[in-house]
Amino acid sequence: MNRRAGADTLAGGTGGQIETLQEAFRVLSGAATTVEHASRFRAVVGEYFAGDGVDFFRRAGGRWEPAGEGEVHGETDLPSPAPGSRDAALMDAGNIRLVQNLSDGSALGIRLLRRGTASPYSDSDLITLRLLLTVYDNTLREITARRNEKELIFSLNHRVLQLNSLIDTGIEVASLAGESPPHHLALERAASLTNASRGVSRVLRGDGTAEDVWFPHRASPGAGDGYTHMIESGFAFGGEQYTFQLFDRESRNGVIPFEETDKLLLDALARQVHASLENRFLHREALEKQKIDQDIAVAASIQQRILPASLPVVGGYDIAGVNIPSKSVGGDYYDCIPLADGRLALVIADVAGKGVPAALLVSSFHAYLSAYLEAAVPLVELATRLNRVIAHASTEDKFITAFFALLDPATGSVHSVNAGHNPVFLRRADGAIAELTLGGIPLGMIDMDFPYQSESLVMGNGDRLLLYTDGIPEATDDRQRLYEEDFPLREFVAGHTPGKASAFIDELIADVKKFTGAAPQNDDITALYLVRH
Amino acid sequence: MEQPFSLTSELRGTCLIITTAGYVNNVGGEAIAVEFNRHFEHGIRHVVINLGQSRVVNSVGMSFLIEIIEHLEEAGGKLVFTDLDPAVDKMLSIMGLFQYAGREKSVDDALRALASAGKGSQ
Repeated sequence: MNRRAGADTLAGGTGGQIETLQEAFRVLSGAATTVEHASRFRAVVGEYFAGDGVDFFRRAGGRWEPAGEGEVHGETDLPSPAPGSRDAALMDAGNIRLVQNLSDGSALGIRLLRRGTASPYSDSDLITLRLLLTVYDNTLREITARRNEKELIFSLNHRVLQLNSLIDTGIEVASLAGESPPHHLALERAASLTNASRGVSRVLRGDGTAEDVWFPHRASPGAGDGYTHMIESGFAFGGEQYTFQLFDRESRNGVIPFEETDKLLLDALARQVHASLENRFLHREALEKQKIDQDIAVAASIQQRILPASLPVVGGYDIAGVNIPSKSVGGDYYDCIPLADGRLALVIADVAGKGVPAALLVSSFHAYLSAYLEAAVPLVELATRLNRVIAHASTEDKFITAFFALLDPATGSVHSVNAGHNPVFLRRADGAIAELTLGGIPLGMIDMDFPYQSESLVMGNGDRLLLYTDGIPEATDDRQRLYEEDFPLREFVAGHTPGKASAFIDELIADVKKFTGAAPQNDDITALYLVRH
Repeated sequence: MEQPFSLTSELRGTCLIITTAGYVNNVGGEAIAVEFNRHFEHGIRHVVINLGQSRVVNSVGMSFLIEIIEHLEEAGGKLVFTDLDPAVDKMLSIMGLFQYAGREKSVDDALRALASAGKGSQ
């Protein structure tokens, strides 16, 4: 495809010229980049016009610059196309200078220099050069379109990637079983999706200390912190300030500013981390509550085993009891225990406080009480010992009010100690009411050998004894009024004398519930009722 | 957290194996391209890139990988990625790289695949 062959062909017709142009089109179309395209064009022209010097210039923005690789021979003395004209050409002193405006708004200038003894350029050479420039323009347009198409596809794929990664990251940071904190993963994803050269997530704690995590990892944070462009996002949670900063968006041509969508992406990831931290917090709380509920369930199970499943049947007497805890674990206790000597121990107690701690104290109380009763410890001594051990077993704000009575079923004699508990009502068959209050301070209130007192009485036929906890007189309705204020328990005891002990209990509980209505039960309700027939 | 980029390479027969670690960004992508070009100029046409220690690749880094694929395609060669983290695998897949490049679980698998395709040797 050299000039001589081309010139001969051109002299004889256009067939060879067409071949030359077709070959040029094939060669130039195969260029992958505009730089390669320019180099190939230079080679095509150089080969066609063999032996001659060829200079290339490109004008973009009004200034001519050498184009492609190779030596430039002398000054840029190119002609300018007249207004409305596509090109301008000069042929003088054996040189051709040709300028052609290209379709992308730039212009290409070519200077063919005569050298040696070769024949001078002809009009046909100028025509060929013009046609080659047209091929150059067309193939450049094709390459540019191909490149733009490729960049568009790449850009669209990258957008799809960003959206997909945003969804995936949302799922991953929301995972409660994640190995690393969610803000670490979010930083990594934000940096890669925005092409940031590096980034940092900072957690500023309430005490002023901060934790910085860099992406990529930096052994010595602080060094080389300079940057040209930066975007940031953040939020506050749990008394801590979370901040994400991304630095210097990368491109193949160096650092460039971040796009608006980069900031939107960073904000979205920061929001996902915020939501994840909230979810983790709520999940932890739920687990803790679940654990507490399990503990309470265990304590409730223990307490249920402490309370009597059934009460003993004692000839000549009818006994009934009830315990309705206000929480799943209560602090009330009652029992009716047959002793080896044939007597019956009647006990009711109320721990200050509710929940697991109260249940634990009730458990200790039950264990000591059982041991002392089995050892036949006298009632006053029993109260003194219990006061001491409960004082040791409990915190300062925990104590137990209790009432103990030993009943001899054969004689009806009752020997009792009231350790700071509500008065126990004895309703005589004739309607008279007596209150059993003699005893001493609540158990565990003072760590000392307190001298408890006891009292004795005899229950006759038709006499009734009510032991109860303060959950009954202090039951409140939805206006916080006390049951005792409107319905004194003493009067209820006096006025209700059903034949069966269980019927009395049922009537008492029904009366309390009727008073409290829909108001929540704020204390345990426990009662033990004994009738001598 | 991802480490700074580093790269090692070895030749097994006519196959170039490039193993990377860290963030494949502009710096990492360019380092891979330089290493590839160094061997490509000497006729290497079968390349395995082990990204097992690179869990993060950005689009600038990917553009270098695409260029390597294009060069190999034009020259009748083949590129195979191995040891891909699931996130990177998905990323390269969405960007369309596996239309022209292979992926295998390990370098040995990649070498076997290239050998069985008659495109590489060990």
